[in-house]
Amino acid sequence: MNDVTTTPAVLRLDSVSKSFGSNRAVRGVSLNIHSGEVIGLIGENGAGKSTLLKILSGNYRHDEGTIAVNGQTIQFRGPADALRAGIGVVHQEQSLFTNLTVAENIEVNTPMGRGGVNRLGLYNWRRLYADAAKALDLIGSHLNPKTRVSDLSFVDRQMVEIARAIRVSAASHTTPLVILDEPTAILERTETAILEREISKLRDIGSVIFVSHRLDEVMRICDRVVVMRDGELIADRRVDDVTEEELFRLMVGRETHAAVRNRRSIEPTSSPVISIHDLTRAGSYADVSINAYPGRILAILGTSGSGRESVARAIFGAEGFDSGSVSIAGYSGRQLSIKHAVDLGVGYVPAERKTEGMVGGMPADENITLTHPGSAALGPFELPRRRLSLARMWFEKLDIRPREPEHMLQDFSGGNQQKVVLAKWLNSSNLKALVLDHPLRGLDPGAAETVNAQIRSVCDDGTAIILIPDTIDEALDIADDIVVMRDGRISGVFDLGHDNPATLDLLERML
Amino acid sequence: MVDKVLSEQGAGSISTTAIRIRESGIERRARFRGLAEPLSLLVALAVLIGVFSLFNERFLTASNFQNVLTQSAIPLIVAVGATLVILLGSIDLSVEGVMGATGMTWILLSANSRGGGDLGPWAWVIALGVALVLGVASGLIFTALKVPSFIVTLGMWYVGLGIATMLYGTDLLPRLEDEGLKGWTSRISFGLPNSFWVALLVIGLGMFVLRSTRIGRVTLAIGNSETIVRSAGLPAFRVKVAVFAIAALLSGLGGILATVQLDIGSPTVGSGVLFIVIPAVVIGGTHLGGGKGGILRTVLGVFLLTILNNGLILSGVESSYQSAVTGAILVAAIVFAAWSQRDRLQVAK
Amino acid sequence: MSKIDNETTKIAVPARGKLQSVKRIGGWHAIGPIVIFLVILVVVAILTPAFIGGGGLAIIASSSAPILLLALGQAMVLNVGSIDLSNAAIGLLGAILLALTLGPVAGLSPLIVLLATTAFGAVNGLILAYAQVPSFALTLGTLGIFQAVALVASGRTTVYVSSNGEGVHALYESGIANVPMTFWMGVLLAVALWVLLRYTRIGRGMTAIGKNESAAIFSAVRTRSLKVLAFALSGFAAGLAGIAIIAQAGSASPTGLGSDLLLPAIAAALIGGTSISGGVVNPLTVIFGALTVALVPIATTAVGIEAQAQSLVYGAVIIGVVALTMSRNKTSIVK
Repeated sequence: MNDVTTTPAVLRLDSVSKSFGSNRAVRGVSLNIHSGEVIGLIGENGAGKSTLLKILSGNYRHDEGTIAVNGQTIQFRGPADALRAGIGVVHQEQSLFTNLTVAENIEVNTPMGRGGVNRLGLYNWRRLYADAAKALDLIGSHLNPKTRVSDLSFVDRQMVEIARAIRVSAASHTTPLVILDEPTAILERTETAILEREISKLRDIGSVIFVSHRLDEVMRICDRVVVMRDGELIADRRVDDVTEEELFRLMVGRETHAAVRNRRSIEPTSSPVISIHDLTRAGSYADVSINAYPGRILAILGTSGSGRESVARAIFGAEGFDSGSVSIAGYSGRQLSIKHAVDLGVGYVPAERKTEGMVGGMPADENITLTHPGSAALGPFELPRRRLSLARMWFEKLDIRPREPEHMLQDFSGGNQQKVVLAKWLNSSNLKALVLDHPLRGLDPGAAETVNAQIRSVCDDGTAIILIPDTIDEALDIADDIVVMRDGRISGVFDLGHDNPATLDLLERML
Repeated sequence: MVDKVLSEQGAGSISTTAIRIRESGIERRARFRGLAEPLSLLVALAVLIGVFSLFNERFLTASNFQNVLTQSAIPLIVAVGATLVILLGSIDLSVEGVMGATGMTWILLSANSRGGGDLGPWAWVIALGVALVLGVASGLIFTALKVPSFIVTLGMWYVGLGIATMLYGTDLLPRLEDEGLKGWTSRISFGLPNSFWVALLVIGLGMFVLRSTRIGRVTLAIGNSETIVRSAGLPAFRVKVAVFAIAALLSGLGGILATVQLDIGSPTVGSGVLFIVIPAVVIGGTHLGGGKGGILRTVLGVFLLTILNNGLILSGVESSYQSAVTGAILVAAIVFAAWSQRDRLQVAK
Repeated sequence: MSKIDNETTKIAVPARGKLQSVKRIGGWHAIGPIVIFLVILVVVAILTPAFIGGGGLAIIASSSAPILLLALGQAMVLNVGSIDLSNAAIGLLGAILLALTLGPVAGLSPLIVLLATTAFGAVNGLILAYAQVPSFALTLGTLGIFQAVALVASGRTTVYVSSNGEGVHALYESGIANVPMTFWMGVLLAVALWVLLRYTRIGRGMTAIGKNESAAIFSAVRTRSLKVLAFALSGFAAGLAGIAIIAQAGSASPTGLGSDLLLPAIAAALIGGTSISGGVVNPLTVIFGALTVALVPIATTAVGIEAQAQSLVYGAVIIGVVALTMSRNKTSIVK
């Protein structure tokens, strides 16, 4: 590692701030990044990381402060300006054209006449492939530029994104700064190792901002770590001078987890509402056995390759399985349909709220009564007035704001939308178990807290909850039981009534 | 501007987890299907040719071969444009209207039985100009006013027919008088009918545009994800208008050739073409959702339908059954393509 | 197929205070179809006062009857996010079957026809729901099949009702307020469908499918059955249209191939405020969509546009009216 402090800053942020209305998302952030540095950026959801990244990528304009690239103050007017300045972002959601070649995706930001496409829009494929190969070469990748992206593995696609991010600066001979937004969140262990190797290669040609939730990775890959909390940059440490535990404390702002819940062990007399036995789906998970009890929250931890989402969907009848059994409230069947699972008393809150959880173009009250009309229907007929008063009742009970259930659900804020989705299942007279797939995804901390409170109270009313949480903390916060899955198999079971697993222990079982 | 970019990203973003779960399953099949679809089409074609030649000696003759090529030429030309539009994820229903308007314009400006001015090559230029105007109008209304392409081109079908009917007026039937042009389409040069040479040229140009020009590549990109196209700053607007213009030009060319073939001007010269072209594109394996497919596949689709109908007629099957055969093949093809991907969470529109 | 991505992502939504969205009742696309019809009607009335006095309205209503019936079925299919290109062909096949069977089985004949056309529609729906194929391609294919069946059944000639035609013919001859029963049949169906969509769980489920099918699946809405039902209703409405054709003309010709009615009926559904991307429909305004479609040819003549230009005006009106009435979002993606 060379002594970076003597080289000039590639990127310099000075008191950068950004507000949305009264919400100050980023407050006075100052940061210097030098050539050849890999900076880790960590912080909880809602800490302002993504707003800061969007300022750097030219998607947002900052309100206050200055940004300087290679010593020159710059105001980005759009993503193109940021690209020209050498800043390329690799987003968590991939933005590749899967039906086109690797080369085309890498060259997509290269202006016509400057690369493989001439001013008339005609393609010189040989030049295009050569240019792309050069960009791939810079990051040490040996992908064939002629391959179609749809034929690539996930981690290879990430390589294509990185090559695209450095392509523009490589052409204009500026030092590239690559921002990787949680690239490892959905990678498996071997894939992560490949990515780590690629990132250290980037050190030779430019600098990197690496955003991640995984502290061990940050410690391994980065030279320096900066921590954001509540929109502010609260710490800037060299990795040699800091420990994982200290970073964790800086990030969440507290030492350990106080016992938020008064947890009980499973009473030997109670019987599970949902009991899955040796459940197997080829290529996804194998021999999974889980029992969920009334009045208890069971969290399933695991990375995206763990198969936990598929298990959750199998319980709801949304995905088939190859062998084993799912029994719900005593009924046991080989294959369930969604309708059957719902009739047996299961509810499901999908991770994709906007596309799968709710009908945004329908009023909130109609969303609530869509599955279980309750008293709002008489046989096949709906009773609009009763529907509205029923919805008002749920709006009061779950504190959904504003109290206007006749409005389109898409106009409500995320947290309130999620509560309406919950109300849809609570409106059942027969709800026995609720499967929650990333229920807090995309919610700000305040909204997440209120949704969590509702989940707890539903559980206290005697419903069994199966939770797929975003973070380990979320599980430790709220769950009574924790099941950890790794590569499709269960790697740990904890009853928080008498077990007290450490975060690191859980993490180890996931990876 | 900033807000717009963001809300687009928000609208298009599905969690990577979900994409990944779906992709891993779909791709294994897709790679197999990428080969299987054109192969199964070729096999189907070979089987058809084999069966028909067994049962009918007139089928496998040079004259019938040339006959099939002449019959397929106009649908082929129109289908190249239709493929491009469908690759965008849109649809062009206006082909028959554009064919009528262009064909009528052309014959009235060429040497015809009504007299009037014979503009020679200018007749071609002006007639194709009419097609271009219709296509650009469709494209602009579609992109600028955000009216779905289904409706715009449905309206443009009527507009085209209306223009043809107005030009036709109440006068006598305009009959083609240029002896050199009469029967030109089915005349043979270098072993193939003239109209088929034109079709080959169009197919070649279409493949070049799709493979090696900005318009073609951005067309594929739009079909894959318009959200990413916009956030990457690619010219979605211009490309969409251009593709509708190209499709209309090709429909217009088809309209002129159909008029030459028919010998007379008729507003409904394109009648029935849409019902060959769209099934052919779909049978070829181009996805109605856009982004996947190609021109050569469409060519196979057109040949399959033409040869099937030709063979059935030669075998003495009543022509009433023609549409049923096309329809049944279309249904079988899409069910065949969709069967392996059925899933209880799949959305079928 | 054509679809509009209506996802909206708000960056900051006020937690308190009024929401800005349009309430579910009212709004331009609810009254637009009626306003457009009335505007055209007033123009016609001013230019040719004799038209209104001479029972012109009744003429429009009676000529719009088959279009209205087909448009209502189409609107139900569009509401679940699909399209039925085969419904006019089913209607025509129904008319031919009616003409062929009225003689032999008399009163049973309309019943048989309605059963058959409903079954045809349901077959479309079953293939769509269980093979998961795009409705556009599927119904384009079945359109060809139904056309061929109609050609073969009729022997390629116009089929006349041989006997027992009086009862069916009476639907056209008798009427309320000088408007034939065939039109009122359409109005009755529209009201029934309106009740189905507004006040039943079936209707709510259908609309949910059209607006967001994935969410409907995850809400345990019976998406497959409801899609089959929507297509079956389209077949049923097409059967009624077939009966209306025979009532009016006493004969049916297979050479029109149904396309003479297919596109006007789709246009009527769209002008009537139905969204092509699904989830938005009002059967009552579809009545005005059908009336507008029937009025346009008359209006063009009244305004003094020559008969040959009718189709041109018709096309322009479809584009113009849909462009005026459809709701759109700045960042949405239209296909």
